Amino acid sequence: MDTVDQPNEQSLVEYRVDRILEEANTDTRIVVLARQDGVLDTFPIWVGAAEGNAIKLALDTMITPRPMSHDLIKSFAEHLNITIQRVVITDVKSSTYYATVHVANKGLERTIDSRPSDAIALALRAPCPIYITQDVLKRRSTTNLDAWLAKLESKDIGAPEVQET
Amino acid sequence: MITQMHVKGLMFDPYNNAYIVVLRDEEHSDMLPIWVGKSEAGAISMSLENVTPPRPMTHDFMMSFLDAFNAKVISVVITDLSEHTYFSKIHLMYEDSEYTVDARPSDAIALALRSNAPVFANNSVITKQSSEELEQWLENLKPEDFGKLDS
Repeated sequence: MDTVDQPNEQSLVEYRVDRILEEANTDTRIVVLARQDGVLDTFPIWVGAAEGNAIKLALDTMITPRPMSHDLIKSFAEHLNITIQRVVITDVKSSTYYATVHVANKGLERTIDSRPSDAIALALRAPCPIYITQDVLKRRSTTNLDAWLAKLESKDIGAPEVQET
Repeated sequence: MITQMHVKGLMFDPYNNAYIVVLRDEEHSDMLPIWVGKSEAGAISMSLENVTPPRPMTHDFMMSFLDAFNAKVISVVITDLSEHTYFSKIHLMYEDSEYTVDARPSDAIALALRSNAPVFANNSVITKQSSEELEQWLENLKPEDFGKLDS
C-alpha cells in the first residue's frame, strides 16, 4: 500500500485479522486483530454471528456462489472506480467500537461511519489496511474480554486457541 | 417484460428456519416469494418497519457508501430463477452513467427499500412461480421441496 497520509488524525497503528473465535453461548463471534508493527498485542472485537461469518468468509478466502453483502459493496467500488483506502477503528463508547471507512474517487476523499464488523469485512475484500487509533488502544475496553474469559473458565471449555488473548 | 413488485412483508418458514420475502404486483394477481436467511430478513424488516438502528447496519453502510459519491439506486430487477436460486440486478446512476451490478435479491431489496427505488421482476420469473402454483405448493409443503436459501 501507499504511504498513509493522516494529516489531522491521531497516530494509527496497523492491525490485521488474526482469527475469528466462536462464542456459542451467546451466538457472537470475536474478531481477534493482531498488531502488525512487531509489538505483541491482540485486540478482540465482539460482533454478531452474521457479521463474524462475513469476516470469516473473507479471511478464509471462500468464494460463495452468489455475492455476499460485502462482496456487493466491493462490486459497487469496482464499477464506480472507488478506491477503498483504509479502515480505522476510531472510538470506543460504552464497550461499543466505532469505525470509519476511507474511500477515494478522482481525488475526492470521503470518510464513512461504520460498525467495525462492516469495516473489517470490507477491508479483507478490498484489500486495504486496518488501523486502530492510539487513543482507542489506550482506552480499550477489557471488561468484555475478562467477563468472557471468566465465563469460559467457569464452564471449563478447553478452547486452546483463546489462551493467547 | 418486467412488472413492478411491492414488498408486502416477511413470513417465517419454520421448516427451513428461514424467512420468505413476499413480493406482489400492483393488481395483486401475481406473487413472488423469495427465501432469505435470518440476517438478510433482518435487513429488510428494519426498512419495512422504519427502524433506525443506533449504529449503521450493513445496508445502511452500503447506502452511505453510494451516497458518499452521489451514486443513486435507480431500480432493482429480479432477473432469473435457476435451481431455486433467484438472481437480481441493481441499477445505479453515477455521474450520468448507468451501471448494472449483480446481487442477491435480499441485498437488492434491502437497498431498494432504503433508497425508495422500485423493485421489478422479469415476467418469466413470475410465470415460473405464479401465485396459484404457490398456494398448491404451500399446501403440499415438504421440507425437501425447499431449495437453497438466498445466502
